[in-house]
Amino acid sequence: MGLLKYRIKTFLKYQDLIQELVSRDLKLKYRRSFLGYVWSILNPLMIMIVMTIVFSNLLGKNIENYPVYLFTGRLLFDFMKNSTNNAMRSVTGNAALLRKVYVPKYIFTFAKVTSCMLDLVFSLGALLIVMVATGAPFYWQILLSPLVIIQLYIFCCGLGFFLAQLNVFFRDIQHIYAAVLTAWQYLTPIIYEITKLPDPMPFLIKAFNPMYYYVAQFRDLVYYGQFPGPRIFWGGWLIAFIMLFVGIWSFQRSKDKFILYI
Amino acid sequence: MSKYAIEVDNVKIRFNLASENVDNLKEYAIKLVKRELMFQEFFALKGVSLKIKKGEAWGLVGANGSGKSTLLKTVSGILKPYEGSVKVNGNIAPLLELGAGFDMNLTARENIYLNGLVLGHSRQFMDEHFDEIVDFANLYEFLDSPIKNFSSGMKARLGFAVATIVNPDIMIVDEVLEVGDMRFRRRCNERMQQMLSGGTTLLFVSHNIDAVKGLCEKVLWLDHGEMRMVGDAEEVCNAYQEEQEALTKAKKLERREKLRAQGKKYDYLIVGAGLYGAVCARELTRRGKRCLVIDKRKHIGGNVYTENMDGIQVHKYGSHIFHTSNPTVWKYVNKLAEFNNFINSPVAIYKDEMYNLPFNMNTFSRMWGVRKPQEVKKKIAEQIAELHITEPKNLEEQALSLVGTDVYEKLIKGYTEKQWGRDCRDLPSFIIKRLPLRFTYDNNYFNDRYQGIPIGGYTKMVEKLLENTDVMLETDFFQYRKDHPDMFDKVIYTGMIDEYYDFCYGHLEYRTVQFETERLEEENYQGNAVVNYTDREVPYTRVIEHKHFEPEEEKANPKEYTIISREYSTEWKPGMEPYYPVNDEKNNALYEKYRELAEKEKKVIFGGRLGTYKYYDMDKVIETAIADVKKELKIRV
Repeated sequence: MGLLKYRIKTFLKYQDLIQELVSRDLKLKYRRSFLGYVWSILNPLMIMIVMTIVFSNLLGKNIENYPVYLFTGRLLFDFMKNSTNNAMRSVTGNAALLRKVYVPKYIFTFAKVTSCMLDLVFSLGALLIVMVATGAPFYWQILLSPLVIIQLYIFCCGLGFFLAQLNVFFRDIQHIYAAVLTAWQYLTPIIYEITKLPDPMPFLIKAFNPMYYYVAQFRDLVYYGQFPGPRIFWGGWLIAFIMLFVGIWSFQRSKDKFILYI
Repeated sequence: MSKYAIEVDNVKIRFNLASENVDNLKEYAIKLVKRELMFQEFFALKGVSLKIKKGEAWGLVGANGSGKSTLLKTVSGILKPYEGSVKVNGNIAPLLELGAGFDMNLTARENIYLNGLVLGHSRQFMDEHFDEIVDFANLYEFLDSPIKNFSSGMKARLGFAVATIVNPDIMIVDEVLEVGDMRFRRRCNERMQQMLSGGTTLLFVSHNIDAVKGLCEKVLWLDHGEMRMVGDAEEVCNAYQEEQEALTKAKKLERREKLRAQGKKYDYLIVGAGLYGAVCARELTRRGKRCLVIDKRKHIGGNVYTENMDGIQVHKYGSHIFHTSNPTVWKYVNKLAEFNNFINSPVAIYKDEMYNLPFNMNTFSRMWGVRKPQEVKKKIAEQIAELHITEPKNLEEQALSLVGTDVYEKLIKGYTEKQWGRDCRDLPSFIIKRLPLRFTYDNNYFNDRYQGIPIGGYTKMVEKLLENTDVMLETDFFQYRKDHPDMFDKVIYTGMIDEYYDFCYGHLEYRTVQFETERLEEENYQGNAVVNYTDREVPYTRVIEHKHFEPEEEKANPKEYTIISREYSTEWKPGMEPYYPVNDEKNNALYEKYRELAEKEKKVIFGGRLGTYKYYDMDKVIETAIADVKKELKIRV
């Protein structure tokens, strides 16, 4: 109990630092660019336009309002991809600092995932623009979408912790993970509909791909305007917390050895 | 609360050297199979225990890799001990690196916040102290420029300012103050002193031993991860420094031995281990040249050689009193030895009369019973006028025309005649050009600003000059050159220049002195270091009582006996020890011929009293030697 209290205390002590690190990431991302934060919206918008042009005739023929369909999937997947990639490098990237000052090491991982999440929130603006532009219907269920984003945020934190500690010991992870991400992207129904896949792929994806849970939920709320089924809703929460637990556990177990390897 | 700020109990820190190379999966798998993963372990700290009371200032010293930084990191919580425990009471401000965590792309303003937060302060706290930090770092103009454009000194300033805004309970400083300009360092020092007096506990690492001594009361000396010595700062630092110096010395010696064993050619062969040769050796060696010093004699030092006889430093080749007006030379010799404050005030004995030297008011008042300078001047002028000398034909007339009858008869005549072995009337007048008369009551023989004698003798000082140079004694140059013509590149020759050319134009003449050294079983023989005997009847010119050159030694270890040297002037014949060049017209002309030969030499430099046939005081010898080396190595003065 004392330990938990201590952890919460240090977390509170360093919350300002987390804030500062997050705002540093955001500031630096667009420093010296003419349009600044507008790029947070503009960038996904432009990529979305490109992808729509490329894929709408190829895969999206039978999908109604393909741009919105595509965008809802891509936004979440990009967030997952960026946040875990950054998190993976967060400990090794701050090696110089960690060797000189005592700072709880998870702060950096946590800050990276958080700043990516804020980026996602900006990008939601782009989604709204697309929806307005394509005349997509707005359902009130869209207001529930933060629930999905929180699930994914927890999931990414967990995965980020896991990758960050692994990367300290084995730098190969970076290359392996890049390949994993590519495979993962194609195995997630972003540009296509899951129903279009031959058996047993839909089953396998539903069973083993966590991203499916979040993308499906998000689409239900934003694109279809319906409540997600209990399986994917509760499943999403469960997977998020399992991942978080695995991440924290592995990070906690090896964090004292980081200093010897970074 | 415990009275200790830091308690380190038997801490061991282990690094796994083998795993340094394992940062990819393949290696890991291979090593796992081979069971090599934990083989090469390395203990950076091997059981260090330390208890630091609140408010104490501790220094850590030790060679590179001795575990100082590791210990600091362990106390800061960055490293976790493999065994043992660390307990810290109070908040720590670690200055392991100034501005650790600065983001080069952010502005100074943003970095102040970021760095402060990294150090565990809250944003509110940083808001409150922001101005104070900027003030200390003195970076108003640059607050909003990215710090990648800052100089390293500016970054250090900013880092120090952020790290020390708060009065921490414990401050840990790891050689971060070595950067930055002098003003900044002084300010850092002030700030640290201020914090120390405010009750902050300090743990300080620096290779600057003086800084450690200045700041810390206690010092821990680490050696390969083990505690070598703990205790009073002064004591431990001195022990550490001594060992370091001994190590460096041993290293240099080893290198020299190795080169010698290989029979490697010397850059310079220095002939004569006297002051000139020794200074050349030191200056050349210091600049990476390899030198061999040879000397005919059994000892180094040439004529400045002092020998310890029953605890008294005996000036074997006549009294040597160091005096100079050149601050550079004074600084130079003081780095080599500690000098006492000996002031040369010789006395002269003429029959049963006794006078102070040099000729000053003490001398005159004793001679004539007068007290006022005007009376003395009048007296001398009268004596000179009576003689009616217009054109001095010999030394006697020259001296008389300068100082009058009494001073000449009592203090100059006999002494000079003994010196030259001839009647003053037969000596040329040029020997005495002027005879300074002093109209103050001042017995200090020399007019120089600095004066003294190296404590422990000149030999020790010359040893220091030669400490990194190979020396071969009882070695004759001409023999050595014959036997080892390929062992050296250039020669610095401080012997007699005429001998070098095999006296091809004839012998240069010298004046020489001989000494009769004797131990007397009395505590104090003459009450002064130098006593001149100025009447002709006493056969010797001077008596030197060596213990008076080192009054501080006599005070520390009073002796029941004394050692004196009687100095006789003898006519010089070829083969005798040459002392003073006789710079008359004949000899100067002869030297000029030899010098012309010498100038044609590309690989031989002539130096010192015998090599350049010129009388030098010791300070001038040093000056000339340094200048000659600089000229030789083409260093701009």
